[in-house]
Amino acid sequence: MNPIGAEPYIVLSMVLFLLGALGVLMRRNAILVFMSVELMLNSANLALVAFAREWGQVNGHVFVFFVMTVAAAEVAVGLALIVNIFRERQSINIDDLQQMRG
Amino acid sequence: MEWLFLAVSFVAVLAAAMMLTRQNAVHSALFLIVNFGCVAFLYLMLDAPFLAMVQVTVYTGAIMVLFLFVIMLLGAETTTDTSGRTRWLGLAGSAIAIILLLIFAFPIASDMLADDKAEPLDAQAQLRLINAIPGGEAEEFTVMEMGFAMPLAGTVRANVALDAVDASLPDDRIDGVIYDDPREVARGYRELAAGDYTIIVGVSDGSYASGPIFTKDLALTPDSATSVVVFENAEDLIDVAVLSDDLSAPAVGKMRLTLFNAVTDRQVSLVEVGQYTERRSLCDDGSCSRLIPHRRLIDQLPAGDHISLELDEGSYNLAFVDQDQNVLRILADYQAERGLIETRALVREPGPPGSQASYRAAVYNALAVPAFGSPEAVGQVLFIEYVLPVMLVGMLLLVALIGVIVLARPDALAQAERRRINRRRRVNRPLVSVISQQTGADVLSGEYQAKLPGGPADGSAE
Repeated sequence: MNPIGAEPYIVLSMVLFLLGALGVLMRRNAILVFMSVELMLNSANLALVAFAREWGQVNGHVFVFFVMTVAAAEVAVGLALIVNIFRERQSINIDDLQQMRG
Repeated sequence: MEWLFLAVSFVAVLAAAMMLTRQNAVHSALFLIVNFGCVAFLYLMLDAPFLAMVQVTVYTGAIMVLFLFVIMLLGAETTTDTSGRTRWLGLAGSAIAIILLLIFAFPIASDMLADDKAEPLDAQAQLRLINAIPGGEAEEFTVMEMGFAMPLAGTVRANVALDAVDASLPDDRIDGVIYDDPREVARGYRELAAGDYTIIVGVSDGSYASGPIFTKDLALTPDSATSVVVFENAEDLIDVAVLSDDLSAPAVGKMRLTLFNAVTDRQVSLVEVGQYTERRSLCDDGSCSRLIPHRRLIDQLPAGDHISLELDEGSYNLAFVDQDQNVLRILADYQAERGLIETRALVREPGPPGSQASYRAAVYNALAVPAFGSPEAVGQVLFIEYVLPVMLVGMLLLVALIGVIVLARPDALAQAERRRINRRRRVNRPLVSVISQQTGADVLSGEYQAKLPGGPADGSAE
Protein backbone atom coordinates (compact mmCIF):
# COMPACT_ATOMS: atom_id res chain seq x y z
CA MET A 1 0.00 0.00 0.00
CA ASN A 2 0.88 3.59 -0.33
CA PRO A 3 2.96 4.71 2.64
CA ILE A 4 1.74 8.31 2.40
CA GLY A 5 -1.44 9.02 4.31
CA ALA A 6 -4.24 11.31 3.24
CA GLU A 7 -3.03 14.37 5.18
CA PRO A 8 -0.34 15.61 2.75
CA TYR A 9 -2.86 15.37 -0.07
CA ILE A 10 -5.38 17.39 1.92
CA VAL A 11 -2.79 20.07 2.64
CA LEU A 12 -1.81 20.18 -1.03
CA SER A 13 -5.47 20.39 -2.00
CA MET A 14 -5.93 23.31 0.41
CA VAL A 15 -2.97 25.14 -1.08
CA LEU A 16 -4.23 24.61 -4.62
CA PHE A 17 -7.73 25.70 -3.62
CA LEU A 18 -6.42 28.89 -2.09
CA LEU A 19 -4.34 29.63 -5.16
CA GLY A 20 -7.47 29.16 -7.26
CA ALA A 21 -9.47 31.45 -4.98
CA LEU A 22 -6.72 34.05 -5.19
CA GLY A 23 -6.87 33.81 -8.95
CA VAL A 24 -10.62 34.42 -8.93
CA LEU A 25 -10.13 37.46 -6.72
CA MET A 26 -7.11 38.95 -8.41
CA ARG A 27 -7.36 38.36 -12.11
CA ARG A 28 -9.56 40.56 -14.31
CA ASN A 29 -9.44 38.35 -17.37
CA ALA A 30 -12.67 36.32 -17.48
CA ILE A 31 -10.91 33.32 -19.01
CA LEU A 32 -8.32 33.32 -16.24
CA VAL A 33 -11.05 33.56 -13.66
CA PHE A 34 -12.57 30.48 -15.27
CA MET A 35 -9.27 28.65 -15.20
CA SER A 36 -8.91 29.50 -11.51
CA VAL A 37 -12.34 28.02 -10.87
CA GLU A 38 -11.17 24.86 -12.63
CA LEU A 39 -8.14 24.81 -10.36
CA MET A 40 -10.40 24.99 -7.31
CA LEU A 41 -12.61 22.17 -8.59
CA ASN A 42 -9.49 20.12 -9.18
CA SER A 43 -8.20 20.65 -5.69
CA ALA A 44 -11.57 19.53 -4.31
CA ASN A 45 -11.32 16.44 -6.49
CA LEU A 46 -7.88 15.71 -5.11
CA ALA A 47 -9.24 15.86 -1.58
CA LEU A 48 -12.10 13.53 -2.54
CA VAL A 49 -9.73 10.97 -4.04
CA ALA A 50 -7.47 11.18 -0.99
CA PHE A 51 -10.41 10.55 1.32
CA ALA A 52 -11.65 7.73 -0.89
CA ARG A 53 -8.30 6.01 -0.52
CA GLU A 54 -8.27 6.65 3.20
CA TRP A 55 -11.65 4.99 3.71
CA GLY A 56 -11.27 2.36 1.02
CA GLN A 57 -14.52 3.45 -0.65
CA VAL A 58 -14.86 3.89 -4.38
CA ASN A 59 -17.76 6.32 -3.90
CA GLY A 60 -15.30 9.20 -3.68
CA HIS A 61 -14.08 8.36 -7.15
CA VAL A 62 -17.65 8.41 -8.40
CA PHE A 63 -18.17 11.89 -6.97
CA VAL A 64 -14.97 13.05 -8.65
CA PHE A 65 -16.33 11.65 -11.87
CA PHE A 66 -19.52 13.69 -11.45
CA VAL A 67 -17.57 16.83 -10.60
CA MET A 68 -15.55 16.40 -13.77
CA THR A 69 -18.70 16.03 -15.83
CA VAL A 70 -20.28 19.10 -14.31
CA ALA A 71 -17.04 21.03 -14.79
CA ALA A 72 -16.99 20.06 -18.46
CA ALA A 73 -20.57 21.28 -18.92
CA GLU A 74 -19.82 24.47 -16.99
CA VAL A 75 -16.72 25.20 -19.06
CA ALA A 76 -18.57 24.70 -22.32
CA VAL A 77 -21.40 27.06 -21.37
CA GLY A 78 -19.11 29.58 -19.71
CA LEU A 79 -16.77 29.81 -22.65
CA ALA A 80 -19.72 30.23 -25.02
CA LEU A 81 -20.89 33.11 -22.83
CA ILE A 82 -17.42 34.64 -22.86
CA VAL A 83 -17.29 34.41 -26.66
CA ASN A 84 -20.66 36.14 -26.90
CA ILE A 85 -19.62 38.86 -24.46
CA PHE A 86 -16.45 39.40 -26.42
CA ARG A 87 -18.44 39.78 -29.61
CA GLU A 88 -20.66 42.34 -27.97
CA ARG A 89 -18.06 44.55 -26.37
CA GLN A 90 -14.64 43.49 -27.65
CA SER A 91 -13.44 42.87 -24.11
CA ILE A 92 -13.47 40.11 -21.54
CA ASN A 93 -12.20 42.22 -18.71
CA ILE A 94 -14.67 41.53 -15.94
CA ASP A 95 -14.37 45.12 -14.71
CA ASP A 96 -16.14 46.14 -17.91
CA LEU A 97 -19.15 43.97 -17.16
CA GLN A 98 -21.06 46.18 -14.81
CA GLN A 99 -24.55 46.36 -16.29
CA MET A 100 -25.99 44.32 -13.46
CA ARG A 101 -24.37 46.38 -10.76
CA GLY A 102 -27.13 47.70 -8.55
CA MET B 1 7.57 7.56 -2.37
CA GLU B 2 7.58 10.63 -0.20
CA TRP B 3 10.14 12.48 -2.26
CA LEU B 4 8.04 11.65 -5.33
CA PHE B 5 4.97 13.15 -3.70
CA LEU B 6 6.92 16.21 -2.61
CA ALA B 7 8.36 16.74 -6.09
CA VAL B 8 5.02 16.34 -7.85
CA SER B 9 3.14 18.55 -5.39
CA PHE B 10 5.88 21.18 -5.63
CA VAL B 11 5.53 21.23 -9.42
CA ALA B 12 1.73 21.40 -9.05
CA VAL B 13 1.84 24.38 -6.70
CA LEU B 14 4.50 26.07 -8.79
CA ALA B 15 2.43 25.62 -11.94
CA ALA B 16 -0.67 27.00 -10.21
CA ALA B 17 1.25 30.03 -9.01
CA MET B 18 2.70 30.61 -12.47
CA MET B 19 -0.79 30.32 -13.93
CA LEU B 20 -1.94 33.09 -11.61
CA THR B 21 0.88 35.46 -12.33
CA ARG B 22 1.39 35.15 -16.09
CA GLN B 23 0.04 38.07 -18.10
CA ASN B 24 -0.33 35.99 -21.26
CA ALA B 25 -3.46 33.86 -21.02
CA VAL B 26 -1.96 31.19 -23.29
CA HIS B 27 0.94 30.76 -20.89
CA SER B 28 -1.51 30.55 -18.01
CA ALA B 29 -3.46 27.82 -19.78
CA LEU B 30 -0.27 25.87 -20.46
CA PHE B 31 0.75 26.08 -16.81
CA LEU B 32 -2.71 24.93 -15.82
CA ILE B 33 -2.21 21.90 -18.06
CA VAL B 34 1.02 21.15 -16.19
CA ASN B 35 -0.91 21.42 -12.92
CA PHE B 36 -3.63 19.05 -14.14
CA GLY B 37 -0.99 16.58 -15.28
CA CYS B 38 0.55 16.66 -11.80
CA VAL B 39 -2.86 16.07 -10.23
CA ALA B 40 -3.38 13.10 -12.58
CA PHE B 41 -0.05 11.73 -11.36
CA LEU B 42 -1.19 12.18 -7.76
CA TYR B 43 -4.36 10.25 -8.62
CA LEU B 44 -2.13 7.40 -9.79
CA MET B 45 -0.29 7.55 -6.47
CA LEU B 46 -3.67 7.46 -4.70
CA ASP B 47 -4.66 4.16 -6.37
CA ALA B 48 -7.09 5.84 -8.77
CA PRO B 49 -5.79 4.88 -12.21
CA PHE B 50 -9.21 5.28 -13.82
CA LEU B 51 -9.60 8.83 -12.57
CA ALA B 52 -6.05 9.62 -13.61
CA MET B 53 -6.88 8.64 -17.17
CA VAL B 54 -10.15 10.59 -17.08
CA GLN B 55 -8.27 13.57 -15.70
CA VAL B 56 -5.81 13.45 -18.58
CA THR B 57 -8.42 12.97 -21.28
CA VAL B 58 -11.18 15.24 -19.97
CA TYR B 59 -9.30 17.98 -18.15
CA THR B 60 -5.92 18.31 -19.77
CA GLY B 61 -7.34 17.11 -23.05
CA ALA B 62 -10.83 18.37 -23.77
CA ILE B 63 -11.34 21.23 -21.32
CA MET B 64 -7.93 22.83 -21.71
CA VAL B 65 -8.06 22.53 -25.50
CA LEU B 66 -11.39 24.34 -25.29
CA PHE B 67 -9.77 27.07 -23.20
CA LEU B 68 -6.83 27.46 -25.56
CA PHE B 69 -9.17 27.45 -28.53
CA VAL B 70 -11.30 30.25 -27.07
CA ILE B 71 -8.27 32.30 -26.00
CA MET B 72 -6.79 32.13 -29.48
CA LEU B 73 -10.14 32.59 -31.20
CA LEU B 74 -10.74 35.81 -29.30
CA GLY B 75 -7.16 36.95 -29.59
CA ALA B 76 -7.42 37.62 -25.89
CA GLU B 77 -3.92 36.52 -24.97
CA THR B 78 -3.19 39.70 -23.10
CA THR B 79 -5.75 41.74 -21.33
CA THR B 80 -4.33 44.30 -19.03
CA ASP B 81 -5.34 43.89 -15.44
CA THR B 82 -6.97 47.24 -14.96
CA SER B 83 -8.17 49.15 -11.94
CA GLY B 84 -6.16 50.06 -8.91
CA ARG B 85 -8.25 47.96 -6.62
CA THR B 86 -6.80 44.80 -8.12
CA ARG B 87 -3.59 45.29 -6.16
CA TRP B 88 -5.55 45.91 -3.01
CA LEU B 89 -7.73 42.86 -3.57
CA GLY B 90 -4.67 40.78 -4.30
CA LEU B 91 -2.99 41.81 -1.09
CA ALA B 92 -6.13 41.21 0.94
CA GLY B 93 -6.70 37.85 -0.74
CA SER B 94 -3.12 36.76 -0.12
CA ALA B 95 -3.39 37.74 3.52
CA ILE B 96 -6.64 35.80 3.94
CA ALA B 97 -5.13 32.82 2.14
CA ILE B 98 -2.09 32.74 4.38
CA ILE B 99 -4.24 33.06 7.49
CA LEU B 100 -6.51 30.24 6.32
CA LEU B 101 -3.50 28.06 5.58
CA LEU B 102 -2.12 28.74 9.03
CA ILE B 103 -5.45 27.90 10.62
CA PHE B 104 -6.28 24.72 8.72
CA ALA B 105 -3.30 23.28 6.94
CA PHE B 106 -0.64 23.96 9.53
CA PRO B 107 -2.19 21.85 12.32
CA ILE B 108 -2.63 18.96 9.92
CA ALA B 109 0.94 19.25 8.72
CA SER B 110 2.33 19.50 12.25
CA ASP B 111 0.24 16.54 13.38
CA MET B 112 1.52 14.64 10.41
CA LEU B 113 5.11 15.35 11.31
CA ALA B 114 4.57 14.75 14.99
CA ASP B 115 3.31 11.20 15.16
CA ASP B 116 3.60 8.18 12.96
CA LYS B 117 0.31 7.13 11.52
CA ALA B 118 -1.27 4.28 13.42
CA GLU B 119 -2.74 1.36 11.58
CA PRO B 120 -6.49 1.87 11.15
CA LEU B 121 -8.27 -0.16 13.79
CA ASP B 122 -11.01 -1.59 11.66
CA ALA B 123 -8.82 -3.20 9.02
CA GLN B 124 -10.80 -6.11 7.70
CA ALA B 125 -9.84 -9.50 6.41
CA GLN B 126 -12.01 -12.14 4.85
CA LEU B 127 -12.18 -15.69 6.04
CA ARG B 128 -14.12 -18.74 5.01
CA LEU B 129 -14.24 -22.32 6.10
CA ILE B 130 -13.99 -25.17 3.67
CA ASN B 131 -15.27 -28.47 4.93
CA ALA B 132 -13.23 -31.21 3.33
CA ILE B 133 -13.83 -33.93 5.86
CA PRO B 134 -15.07 -37.18 4.38
CA GLY B 135 -18.36 -38.23 5.73
CA GLY B 136 -22.03 -37.73 5.60
CA GLU B 137 -23.89 -34.55 4.87
CA ALA B 138 -24.91 -34.12 8.50
CA GLU B 139 -21.49 -32.90 9.38
CA GLU B 140 -21.41 -29.29 10.35
CA PHE B 141 -18.91 -26.77 11.40
CA THR B 142 -19.05 -23.86 13.70
CA VAL B 143 -16.75 -20.96 14.00
CA MET B 144 -17.09 -19.54 17.40
CA GLU B 145 -15.26 -18.45 20.42
CA MET B 146 -14.20 -21.25 22.69
CA GLY B 147 -16.55 -21.66 25.57
CA PHE B 148 -19.55 -20.52 23.60
CA ALA B 149 -19.99 -23.70 21.65
CA MET B 150 -23.65 -24.44 21.17
CA PRO B 151 -25.03 -27.82 20.29
CA LEU B 152 -26.20 -27.91 16.73
CA ALA B 153 -28.92 -29.92 15.20
CA GLY B 154 -27.75 -33.11 13.62
CA THR B 155 -24.56 -34.97 14.11
CA VAL B 156 -21.71 -32.64 14.73
CA ARG B 157 -18.31 -34.15 14.65
CA ALA B 158 -16.04 -31.20 14.61
CA ASN B 159 -16.20 -27.64 15.66
CA VAL B 160 -13.68 -25.02 14.74
CA ALA B 161 -13.20 -21.99 16.88
CA LEU B 162 -11.25 -18.87 16.28
CA ASP B 163 -9.68 -17.25 19.28
CA ALA B 164 -8.32 -13.75 18.98
CA VAL B 165 -4.78 -13.58 20.31
CA ASP B 166 -4.82 -9.83 20.56
CA ALA B 167 -7.18 -8.83 23.35
CA SER B 168 -8.02 -5.56 21.62
CA LEU B 169 -9.76 -7.38 18.79
CA PRO B 170 -13.47 -7.67 19.33
CA ASP B 171 -14.46 -11.25 20.00
CA ASP B 172 -18.09 -10.78 19.15
CA ARG B 173 -17.19 -10.74 15.50
CA ILE B 174 -16.29 -14.38 15.82
CA ASP B 175 -19.00 -15.58 18.09
CA GLY B 176 -21.98 -17.34 16.74
CA VAL B 177 -21.05 -17.90 13.14
CA ILE B 178 -22.62 -21.14 12.16
CA TYR B 179 -22.02 -22.85 8.90
CA ASP B 180 -24.73 -25.38 8.61
CA ASP B 181 -25.18 -25.42 4.89
CA PRO B 182 -24.33 -28.61 3.08
CA ARG B 183 -21.08 -28.80 1.24
CA GLU B 184 -20.78 -28.12 -2.44
CA VAL B 185 -22.59 -24.89 -1.80
CA ALA B 186 -20.65 -21.80 -2.61
CA ARG B 187 -20.10 -20.31 0.77
CA GLY B 188 -19.30 -16.69 1.32
CA TYR B 189 -16.48 -15.10 3.12
CA ARG B 190 -16.93 -13.57 6.48
CA GLU B 191 -15.39 -10.27 7.40
CA LEU B 192 -13.18 -10.36 10.44
CA ALA B 193 -10.97 -7.80 12.05
CA ALA B 194 -7.44 -8.34 10.87
CA GLY B 195 -5.09 -9.68 13.48
CA ASP B 196 -3.69 -12.83 14.98
CA TYR B 197 -6.01 -15.66 15.81
CA THR B 198 -5.74 -19.20 16.95
CA ILE B 199 -7.78 -21.80 15.18
CA ILE B 200 -9.03 -24.31 17.70
CA VAL B 201 -10.44 -27.55 16.40
CA GLY B 202 -12.36 -29.82 18.64
CA VAL B 203 -13.96 -33.09 17.69
CA SER B 204 -17.30 -33.52 19.25
CA ASP B 205 -20.08 -36.04 19.24
CA GLY B 206 -22.79 -33.46 19.62
CA SER B 207 -22.24 -32.52 23.22
CA TYR B 208 -18.93 -30.78 22.70
CA ALA B 209 -17.55 -32.83 25.54
CA SER B 210 -14.06 -33.18 24.22
CA GLY B 211 -11.68 -30.28 24.49
CA PRO B 212 -9.60 -28.83 21.74
CA ILE B 213 -7.48 -31.42 20.04
CA PHE B 214 -5.74 -29.17 17.64
CA THR B 215 -4.71 -25.55 17.48
CA LYS B 216 -3.07 -23.60 14.75
CA ASP B 217 -1.99 -20.00 14.54
CA LEU B 218 -3.68 -17.85 11.94
CA ALA B 219 -2.55 -14.37 11.00
CA LEU B 220 -5.12 -12.37 9.08
CA THR B 221 -3.52 -9.46 7.27
CA PRO B 222 -5.75 -6.54 6.26
CA ASP B 223 -7.51 -6.80 2.91
CA SER B 224 -6.61 -10.45 2.55
CA ALA B 225 -8.85 -13.41 1.86
CA THR B 226 -8.18 -16.70 3.57
CA SER B 227 -9.73 -20.13 3.30
CA VAL B 228 -9.40 -22.46 6.24
CA VAL B 229 -9.69 -26.00 4.95
CA VAL B 230 -10.57 -28.63 7.51
CA PHE B 231 -9.70 -32.11 6.36
CA GLU B 232 -8.72 -35.50 7.65
CA ASN B 233 -5.05 -36.27 7.44
CA ALA B 234 -3.33 -39.58 6.96
CA GLU B 235 -3.68 -40.45 10.65
CA ASP B 236 -7.45 -39.93 10.40
CA LEU B 237 -7.10 -36.84 12.53
CA ILE B 238 -8.66 -33.54 11.72
CA ASP B 239 -6.16 -31.18 10.26
CA VAL B 240 -6.37 -27.60 9.12
CA ALA B 241 -4.76 -26.03 6.10
CA VAL B 242 -4.72 -22.28 5.59
CA LEU B 243 -5.01 -21.12 2.00
CA SER B 244 -4.41 -17.49 1.22
CA ASP B 245 -6.84 -16.81 -1.60
CA ASP B 246 -5.98 -14.54 -4.45
CA LEU B 247 -9.21 -12.71 -5.22
CA SER B 248 -7.71 -10.36 -7.76
CA ALA B 249 -9.18 -10.69 -11.20
CA PRO B 250 -7.60 -13.44 -13.32
CA ALA B 251 -5.94 -12.55 -16.59
CA VAL B 252 -8.33 -11.48 -19.33
CA GLY B 253 -10.29 -14.40 -20.71
CA LYS B 254 -9.12 -16.81 -18.02
CA MET B 255 -10.38 -18.35 -14.84
CA ARG B 256 -8.40 -19.30 -11.79
CA LEU B 257 -8.78 -22.79 -10.40
CA THR B 258 -7.29 -23.71 -7.05
CA LEU B 259 -7.12 -27.37 -6.20
CA PHE B 260 -6.74 -28.61 -2.66
CA ASN B 261 -5.87 -32.24 -2.20
CA ALA B 262 -7.71 -33.68 0.79
CA VAL B 263 -7.12 -37.25 -0.33
CA THR B 264 -4.48 -38.20 2.15
CA ASP B 265 -3.09 -41.39 0.77
CA ARG B 266 -2.23 -40.35 -2.74
CA GLN B 267 -0.92 -37.60 -4.92
CA VAL B 268 -3.41 -36.11 -7.29
CA SER B 269 -2.93 -34.79 -10.81
CA LEU B 270 -5.45 -32.83 -12.80
CA VAL B 271 -5.41 -33.82 -16.44
CA GLU B 272 -7.37 -32.77 -19.45
CA VAL B 273 -8.54 -35.73 -21.51
CA GLY B 274 -9.69 -35.28 -25.05
CA GLN B 275 -12.85 -37.35 -25.00
CA TYR B 276 -15.25 -37.98 -22.22
CA THR B 277 -14.87 -41.57 -21.11
CA GLU B 278 -16.04 -43.67 -18.27
CA ARG B 279 -12.54 -45.03 -17.92
CA ARG B 280 -11.26 -45.88 -14.50
CA SER B 281 -7.66 -45.41 -15.54
CA LEU B 282 -5.49 -43.45 -17.90
CA CYS B 283 -3.72 -46.68 -18.86
CA ASP B 284 -4.33 -47.93 -22.34
CA ASP B 285 -3.24 -51.49 -21.63
CA GLY B 286 -3.00 -53.82 -18.67
CA SER B 287 0.65 -53.18 -17.84
CA CYS B 288 0.08 -49.46 -17.97
CA SER B 289 2.99 -48.85 -20.31
CA ARG B 290 0.90 -46.64 -22.53
CA LEU B 291 -1.38 -43.83 -21.46
CA ILE B 292 -4.30 -42.40 -23.35
CA PRO B 293 -3.64 -38.92 -24.76
CA HIS B 294 -3.97 -36.29 -22.10
CA ARG B 295 -2.57 -32.97 -20.97
CA ARG B 296 -1.43 -32.50 -17.40
CA LEU B 297 -2.63 -29.28 -15.83
CA ILE B 298 -1.55 -30.06 -12.27
CA ASP B 299 1.06 -32.70 -11.72
CA GLN B 300 1.36 -34.82 -8.58
CA LEU B 301 -0.16 -32.57 -5.94
CA PRO B 302 0.75 -33.99 -2.51
CA ALA B 303 -1.87 -34.52 0.15
CA GLY B 304 -2.82 -31.48 2.17
CA ASP B 305 -1.30 -29.20 -0.42
CA HIS B 306 -2.88 -26.79 -2.85
CA ILE B 307 -1.99 -25.17 -6.13
CA SER B 308 -3.57 -22.59 -8.43
CA LEU B 309 -3.66 -22.45 -12.17
CA GLU B 310 -5.29 -20.22 -14.74
CA LEU B 311 -7.44 -21.89 -17.35
CA ASP B 312 -8.40 -20.38 -20.67
CA GLU B 313 -12.08 -19.79 -21.18
CA GLY B 314 -13.81 -22.76 -22.76
CA SER B 315 -15.03 -26.29 -22.26
CA TYR B 316 -12.83 -29.07 -20.89
CA ASN B 317 -13.05 -32.71 -20.00
CA LEU B 318 -11.07 -32.86 -16.81
CA ALA B 319 -10.08 -35.85 -14.71
CA PHE B 320 -8.45 -36.17 -11.32
CA VAL B 321 -5.85 -38.91 -11.48
CA ASP B 322 -3.69 -40.41 -8.80
CA GLN B 323 -0.04 -41.43 -9.20
CA ASP B 324 -1.05 -44.90 -10.41
CA GLN B 325 -3.02 -43.28 -13.24
CA ASN B 326 -6.32 -44.30 -11.69
CA VAL B 327 -9.08 -41.85 -12.51
CA LEU B 328 -10.58 -40.68 -9.24
CA ARG B 329 -13.14 -38.28 -10.56
CA ILE B 330 -14.19 -37.03 -13.96
CA LEU B 331 -15.44 -33.54 -14.61
CA ALA B 332 -17.01 -33.94 -18.03
CA ASP B 333 -17.73 -30.87 -20.10
CA TYR B 334 -16.29 -28.55 -17.49
CA GLN B 335 -17.07 -24.95 -18.36
CA ALA B 336 -14.29 -22.51 -17.64
CA GLU B 337 -15.89 -19.09 -17.38
CA ARG B 338 -13.80 -16.02 -17.63
CA GLY B 339 -13.24 -14.12 -14.43
CA LEU B 340 -14.31 -17.02 -12.25
CA ILE B 341 -12.28 -17.91 -9.21
CA GLU B 342 -12.90 -21.45 -8.11
CA THR B 343 -11.50 -23.50 -5.29
CA ARG B 344 -11.95 -27.24 -5.43
CA ALA B 345 -11.19 -29.67 -2.68
CA LEU B 346 -10.80 -33.28 -3.74
CA VAL B 347 -12.17 -35.45 -0.95
CA ARG B 348 -12.38 -39.21 -0.58
CA GLU B 349 -15.82 -40.34 0.46
CA PRO B 350 -15.89 -43.60 2.36
CA GLY B 351 -18.64 -45.65 0.85
CA PRO B 352 -20.56 -48.39 2.61
CA PRO B 353 -18.33 -51.21 3.85
CA GLY B 354 -17.10 -53.40 1.04
CA SER B 355 -17.72 -50.92 -1.71
CA GLN B 356 -15.11 -48.88 -3.47
CA ALA B 357 -14.37 -45.44 -2.18
CA SER B 358 -15.66 -42.59 -4.26
CA TYR B 359 -14.18 -39.16 -4.67
CA ARG B 360 -15.78 -35.83 -5.04
CA ALA B 361 -14.39 -32.46 -5.95
CA ALA B 362 -16.23 -30.04 -3.70
CA VAL B 363 -16.39 -26.61 -5.26
CA TYR B 364 -16.18 -23.27 -3.49
CA ASN B 365 -16.63 -20.29 -5.70
CA ALA B 366 -15.60 -16.73 -5.15
CA LEU B 367 -16.08 -13.65 -7.19
CA ALA B 368 -13.10 -11.71 -8.33
CA VAL B 369 -12.81 -8.45 -6.46
CA PRO B 370 -11.83 -5.68 -8.85
CA ALA B 371 -8.79 -3.74 -7.74
CA PHE B 372 -9.54 -0.55 -5.82
CA GLY B 373 -9.93 2.42 -8.16
CA SER B 374 -9.78 0.31 -11.29
CA PRO B 375 -12.23 1.07 -14.11
CA GLU B 376 -14.14 -2.07 -13.16
CA ALA B 377 -14.55 -1.07 -9.53
CA VAL B 378 -15.57 2.49 -10.36
CA GLY B 379 -17.88 1.29 -13.11
CA GLN B 380 -19.64 -1.16 -10.81
CA VAL B 381 -20.37 1.55 -8.25
CA LEU B 382 -21.21 4.08 -10.95
CA PHE B 383 -23.71 1.97 -12.81
CA ILE B 384 -25.21 0.04 -9.92
CA GLU B 385 -25.44 2.42 -6.98
CA TYR B 386 -25.42 5.69 -8.91
CA VAL B 387 -27.45 4.97 -12.02
CA LEU B 388 -29.85 7.87 -11.47
CA PRO B 389 -27.13 10.49 -10.92
CA VAL B 390 -25.35 9.19 -14.00
CA MET B 391 -28.53 9.71 -16.00
CA LEU B 392 -29.01 13.18 -14.51
CA VAL B 393 -25.44 14.16 -15.30
CA GLY B 394 -25.93 12.88 -18.82
CA MET B 395 -29.03 15.06 -19.09
CA LEU B 396 -27.03 17.97 -17.73
CA LEU B 397 -24.42 17.48 -20.42
CA LEU B 398 -27.14 17.35 -23.04
CA VAL B 399 -28.70 20.57 -21.73
CA ALA B 400 -25.28 22.22 -21.67
CA LEU B 401 -24.69 21.11 -25.24
CA ILE B 402 -28.00 22.59 -26.35
CA GLY B 403 -27.31 25.75 -24.38
CA VAL B 404 -23.96 26.21 -26.06
CA ILE B 405 -25.52 25.71 -29.46
CA VAL B 406 -28.19 28.30 -28.66
CA LEU B 407 -25.59 30.74 -27.37
CA ALA B 408 -23.33 30.35 -30.36
CA ARG B 409 -25.87 29.88 -33.12
CA PRO B 410 -25.30 31.91 -36.33
CA ASP B 411 -28.59 33.65 -35.72
CA ALA B 412 -27.26 35.18 -32.54
CA LEU B 413 -24.14 36.18 -34.38
CA ALA B 414 -26.20 37.79 -37.15
CA GLN B 415 -28.27 39.74 -34.65
CA ALA B 416 -25.25 41.09 -32.82
CA GLU B 417 -23.58 41.92 -36.12
CA ARG B 418 -26.66 43.65 -37.46
CA ARG B 419 -26.99 45.68 -34.33
CA ARG B 420 -23.41 46.87 -34.59
CA ILE B 421 -23.76 47.68 -38.29
CA ASN B 422 -26.94 49.59 -37.63
CA ARG B 423 -25.25 51.53 -34.93
CA ARG B 424 -22.42 52.51 -37.26
CA ARG B 425 -24.70 53.52 -40.13
CA ARG B 426 -27.02 55.64 -38.12
CA VAL B 427 -26.20 58.92 -40.01
CA ASN B 428 -28.54 61.82 -40.38
CA ARG B 429 -27.55 63.00 -43.80
CA PRO B 430 -28.06 61.06 -47.02
CA LEU B 431 -24.93 59.41 -48.36
CA VAL B 432 -24.98 61.52 -51.49
CA SER B 433 -24.57 64.76 -49.64
CA VAL B 434 -21.66 63.33 -47.64
CA ILE B 435 -19.86 62.39 -50.85
CA SER B 436 -20.57 65.66 -52.50
CA GLN B 437 -19.30 67.48 -49.47
CA GLN B 438 -16.10 65.52 -49.53
CA THR B 439 -15.45 65.83 -53.25
CA GLY B 440 -16.64 69.41 -53.45
CA ALA B 441 -18.83 68.73 -56.42
CA ASP B 442 -22.34 67.63 -57.07
CA VAL B 443 -22.37 63.92 -57.64
CA LEU B 444 -25.74 63.94 -59.20
CA SER B 445 -27.10 66.45 -61.64
CA GLY B 446 -30.39 68.07 -60.95
CA GLU B 447 -31.96 65.75 -63.43
CA TYR B 448 -31.05 62.68 -61.40
CA GLN B 449 -31.64 64.42 -58.16
CA ALA B 450 -35.20 64.80 -59.29
CA LYS B 451 -35.46 61.02 -59.36
CA LEU B 452 -34.45 60.68 -55.74
CA PRO B 453 -37.22 60.04 -53.33
CA GLY B 454 -38.87 63.27 -52.40
CA GLY B 455 -37.79 64.95 -55.67
CA PRO B 456 -40.03 66.09 -58.52
CA ALA B 457 -42.41 63.66 -60.09
CA ASP B 458 -40.74 60.77 -61.92
CA GLY B 459 -41.15 59.84 -65.55
CA SER B 460 -39.49 63.02 -66.87
CA ALA B 461 -36.14 61.35 -67.65
CA GLU B 462 -37.52 59.08 -70.27
